[in-house]
Amino acid sequence: MLACRLNPIASILALIALVFVVPASAETFGPKQFIESLGEETIGAITNPDVSEELRLTEFERLFRKGFDVNTISRFVLGRYWRRATPEQQQEYQALFAEFIVQTYANRFRQYSGETIAVDGEREASKRDTIVSSQINASDGPAVRVDWRIRTQGEGHKIVDVIVEGVSMAITQRDEFASVIRRGGGDIEALISELRQKSEAATN
Amino acid sequence: MRLKTESMIRVWGIALATSLVLAACATPTPNDPEARAELQAINDPWESFNRAVFEFNRGLDRALLKPVAQAYRGVVPEFGRDMVKNFLDNLRSPVILANDILQGEKDRAGETGSRLLANTTIGLGGVFNVTDIEFHNEDFGQTLAVWGFGEGPYVVLPLLGPSPIRDTVGLVGDSLMDPVVWYARRHEQYAITWIRYGARAIDTRSRNIETLDEIERGAIDFYATVRSLYRQRRNDEINNGRPQNSVSMPEISWDDEEAAEKNQVSAVSK
Repeated sequence: MLACRLNPIASILALIALVFVVPASAETFGPKQFIESLGEETIGAITNPDVSEELRLTEFERLFRKGFDVNTISRFVLGRYWRRATPEQQQEYQALFAEFIVQTYANRFRQYSGETIAVDGEREASKRDTIVSSQINASDGPAVRVDWRIRTQGEGHKIVDVIVEGVSMAITQRDEFASVIRRGGGDIEALISELRQKSEAATN
Repeated sequence: MRLKTESMIRVWGIALATSLVLAACATPTPNDPEARAELQAINDPWESFNRAVFEFNRGLDRALLKPVAQAYRGVVPEFGRDMVKNFLDNLRSPVILANDILQGEKDRAGETGSRLLANTTIGLGGVFNVTDIEFHNEDFGQTLAVWGFGEGPYVVLPLLGPSPIRDTVGLVGDSLMDPVVWYARRHEQYAITWIRYGARAIDTRSRNIETLDEIERGAIDFYATVRSLYRQRRNDEINNGRPQNSVSMPEISWDDEEAAEKNQVSAVSK
């Protein structure tokens, strides 16, 4: 009885949606869709007026760890020094780096003021990496070109680099870390102690 | 005034030469091939001198440029600042046009040319942007890069900041082809050039206050960060924003297993 009263057009639309749209979108959840949904989710979380600043930061951190492959990034950023580090150094470095990078990006997002993201393409970068290109539009000022390097493993996608107007965050950090280690006499401890200081300064 | 500039250049030259000698004594060539490759990629043989100039520039920025830029942003409303920026962009356009042409970029030259024409006339001397063409920058350093010149050793110039040899030569080239500089010289109105440099510095700084603060706050080695940012940004500008895979993104570094493979292959092929 209820079914007869339903607007036939609406039920046809609903059927089409069920048959085509839902499975199709589930099938093509590629790097592009990954960035789009992560972007939406992140903006939603950091603009949520119902929660405290502290909670918003926790939520951002959760999304960040979900979206970014922090372990791969930390290894890339240490470059050739990764292989030279002892397992204990590697472990401590990775923990400190994760803290450091979350802090860095959280600061960046704290300045969020209504920018929107428009994903406009993707291209293959290597066997498992895709570059998703996007524009970040602000209400004032020109649009900023941001590329996301996505690594796909199995069904999952993770960000391994963010490239803003041709400037790669990972390469910048790798160059900086290499300089810190080199000036510390080639000792990874020099970098670890700097990261430790950053971490202490952030928690105090 | 010209004498002053010449003596300034001489001072820089002497300072550069001294640091070259010092650096040559100070930096031993490492035996480790990876370390050697890293030093080559950094290409900063005068690093200690550059770091000193960098700190000097930073001090000057803290004491003068940043406060002035902050005051400028605080006092002058946005539309006024946009007018200043439009005017400065337009004033630079002849140099951009010349470099577009020297690089063989016909479309971009057309954009710069029509923008210059429309804004200088209808836009009241460039104060208003009456076109919907987006502004793009070009300079002779980029032209040299397009012609195949390498970047050369990294240099930080007093006041002007990061400027590797190629880009320093580019600065000279730009001023030689700049009608504003010609005009100033012909009429001996050198103040025009200096006011323009000052205005450009304040305008640019006022648009980057938060960004630079944040980069500085997050940095462990600010000098090395800026050197890396400068180079990557320059490469992107030289390529006019077109994607470039091999230069900025050495694929091997992203993948340990693949890296090992490739190293073996290259060792065999050598």
